Amino acid sequence: MKRLAVIVDHEACWGCLACEVACKQENNADVGIKFIDVLEEPVRERNGKPHFSFNVNLCRHAECDGAPCVAVCPTDAIELREDGIVVMNIDDCVGCDLCIPECPFAAIVFNHQRSVTQKCNLCSHRVDRGLIPACADNICLAHCIYFGDPEEIRPRIEAMRRVRDRM
Amino acid sequence: MVEFVYSNVEKEMAAYGYDAVTHSHCRMCHGGCGVLVYTRNGKVEKIAGDPESPIGHGTLCSKGLASAQLAYHPDRLQYPVKRVGPKGSGQWQRISWDEALDTIAEKMLGYKERFGAESVVLGYGTGRENEAAIYRFANLFGTPNVLTAGHLCYGPRISTGIITCGSNPIVDYENKPRCVMAWGNNLVIANSDEYKGEDLSVCLDSGSKLIVVDPRLTRLAARADIWLQLRPGTDAALALGMLNTIIGEELYDKDFVENYVHGWEPFVARVREYPVDRVAAITWIPAAKIRAAARLFATTKPAGIQWGVAIEQQINCADNNRLLLALMGITGNIDRQGGQVLFKTPKINNVGKFGAHDKLPPEQVVKRLGGDRFRLAGHFAIVNPKCVWDAVVTGEPYPVKMMFFISSNPVMTRANANAVYEALEKVEFMAVADFFITPTAELADIVLPAATWLEMDYIGDFWKRHGYILPRRKVVQIGECRSDHEMLNDLAHRVGQGEHWWDDFEQGLDYILEPMGIKWQEFKKMKYARGEVSYEKHKTRGFSTPTRKFELYSTLLEQWGYDPLPTYREPVESPISTPERYAEYPYILVTGARSPGYFHTENRQLPNLRELQPDPFLEIHPDTARKHGIGNGDWVLIESPRGRVRQRAKLFGGIDPRVVGAQHAWWYPDKNVKGQGWNESNINVLTEDSYESCDPAMGANSVRTLLCRISRDSDQRGKGRGDAA
Repeated sequence: MKRLAVIVDHEACWGCLACEVACKQENNADVGIKFIDVLEEPVRERNGKPHFSFNVNLCRHAECDGAPCVAVCPTDAIELREDGIVVMNIDDCVGCDLCIPECPFAAIVFNHQRSVTQKCNLCSHRVDRGLIPACADNICLAHCIYFGDPEEIRPRIEAMRRVRDRM
Repeated sequence: MVEFVYSNVEKEMAAYGYDAVTHSHCRMCHGGCGVLVYTRNGKVEKIAGDPESPIGHGTLCSKGLASAQLAYHPDRLQYPVKRVGPKGSGQWQRISWDEALDTIAEKMLGYKERFGAESVVLGYGTGRENEAAIYRFANLFGTPNVLTAGHLCYGPRISTGIITCGSNPIVDYENKPRCVMAWGNNLVIANSDEYKGEDLSVCLDSGSKLIVVDPRLTRLAARADIWLQLRPGTDAALALGMLNTIIGEELYDKDFVENYVHGWEPFVARVREYPVDRVAAITWIPAAKIRAAARLFATTKPAGIQWGVAIEQQINCADNNRLLLALMGITGNIDRQGGQVLFKTPKINNVGKFGAHDKLPPEQVVKRLGGDRFRLAGHFAIVNPKCVWDAVVTGEPYPVKMMFFISSNPVMTRANANAVYEALEKVEFMAVADFFITPTAELADIVLPAATWLEMDYIGDFWKRHGYILPRRKVVQIGECRSDHEMLNDLAHRVGQGEHWWDDFEQGLDYILEPMGIKWQEFKKMKYARGEVSYEKHKTRGFSTPTRKFELYSTLLEQWGYDPLPTYREPVESPISTPERYAEYPYILVTGARSPGYFHTENRQLPNLRELQPDPFLEIHPDTARKHGIGNGDWVLIESPRGRVRQRAKLFGGIDPRVVGAQHAWWYPDKNVKGQGWNESNINVLTEDSYESCDPAMGANSVRTLLCRISRDSDQRGKGRGDAA
């Protein structure tokens, strides 16, 4: 089975937020609703130096063990596809928000304007037409947003890290 | 190596049923990245990066991605208007382009006849690729007064670059410097000038060393091998300390110094006045760290300095730049492949030629406001803003009767905003060309609707130093909006300078391209053109300076009555220069750090960008915030001797507890009131513009190094989008 997800190399992220705007342009989500969210981590010490980085949060899809949101949904609005994409169909959502506490990554948000829950669908409408999700389609200046099989992406991120850290 | 994934244009077209895709060149900032604009039924539907572009390589920032929201914004001005109520009343009446331009022309000619052409001031803000057309118009009209940001942004790099080595040297990212020193610049957020954050990012991902000079812990600083967290405004001292180490330890390029440098001995004598221990005390940076950074930079080849605007907005503006030029030069990195290069544009009628500077009569040149005071700026046709405000308010040295601002919002962007507002209220006649009725445009008599980059043909990056020019292709027409170039071309005919312009501005583009032997219609079909790439040109023909050498000792500055050697001056306001004021205003205030989505005063109206950051924030160290009972997100009053504004606290451990960092250019277009909140959060209400506070040669304002005090605002209303709660 093909497994698809967007994997972010957080250490490479510059916090430019282009992915958030690319997602907005593509999915036209309401104000305040983010399917991808770049979070600034607090400053702390690392190797004796002050340090901070960004954490890019979105639904993990194939990477989320068991995708607990799927099972808890009473209206089957959330579907785990064969390719590993977890699609939430808001037309079938009744806004019970049972899925929100189940999500281990806080990647599901409640849209008060529409009384539904929403999350990243990995641009499944694009993927089904042979396209790449908007955030991962080469807009990122850090080239740190990868789309594909996580098993193939992880070693690439690790290789990048070794060059970057001059190891 | 990074494997870039390219957009699939054919599949995009099929999947969404787009009618067309246009390859163009974004201008949400100064010009820059290649873009793909997808349209359906004549409307822009999607914007993506163009993987075939040499600028950006298919990546695109938040601003570019939101361009359609700018073009189609419901509040956009789509036809010319004239003011029918008092200034600032917001009462406008639609007029035709003919009436608007005839009125402007009549006013201009009338003032020229009665008070001289110099009584008419043209202005633009940051470079928006209209500067050559504006200078052309002004020079042919006969006014030496074009008010720009050039005194404190990029102009200093150009002018100090030219007097030192003939041009502005830029980092050769295409050949991957092995060490980059980012000095007062956060390229990955700002995407400033020639190259973009992507170029630096890819360079660092290939393992290049990184030194960052910044009072704030940016993500770049967090990734640096060495972060030099200096006391704001002490850049010149730091550079002198690094030069001291490089010279003292003989880490400089001896061949370059012996053969290509003018003034080595006096320069070394000046540098020796700044031993590293003295510099450490001035800058707050430990001496060992200064030495380590100097050694890393001098011994890792090739290396480049990614310099930015922060060092130009200080009293040491010109000397900061000259000292960084010295660091580039004596380490042998100037015009070296992978170092700091002097690239050539293609053979075109360039910005200087197009600007028709030779057409301004000598008797008008000498009338340039402030030209006798700020002589480096004056030599490069740059005017200090206070000189203009003073001429409006006092009539000295002569009256300024009319101002015409094109893509400029000086109420928000110039130092001492209250004085700016007063001058704009007082000036007899003012015209503005812009996308919206901005706080500046509110004070105008006539406002013209300007085209966005989606609505114009132009030769993008025509003014830059990376050697590329790229076609910007018109995609849509919106309302009656016109590009600044078309507008000026039309106005030129109405003021009697038509013979120097064209029937249609497309012929102006043909004129730019003429030396290449092609016309716009041919260039439009090209991806880009690039000047000849060559390195170390000084080895055969020297540098384009009076001595043909790299002038560490500036013969031109000496001729103009300045110290020919760079030096360090203490900031105008600081714990050391004004201890009494420091007792009352106990924090150093830095301003203007870039944040994603905004370009100076722009884009607060665009939903996809405003959402990224709804309110301005003041960075405060958590220890400092605690002392004042300020919590994260609280509205904070920030006060200087000039005034008071408010921004929201962002508790941030990456800033020194003695320093706070405010954002610039914030207004609230969503507030439907007079002034649109121009003085609520505008940090320039706090900045100073006295002549004494400016760089003596360049006239740059000290807008990034001042003193302030902070307190929690007793009124905490206004959460989110600047609205009353």
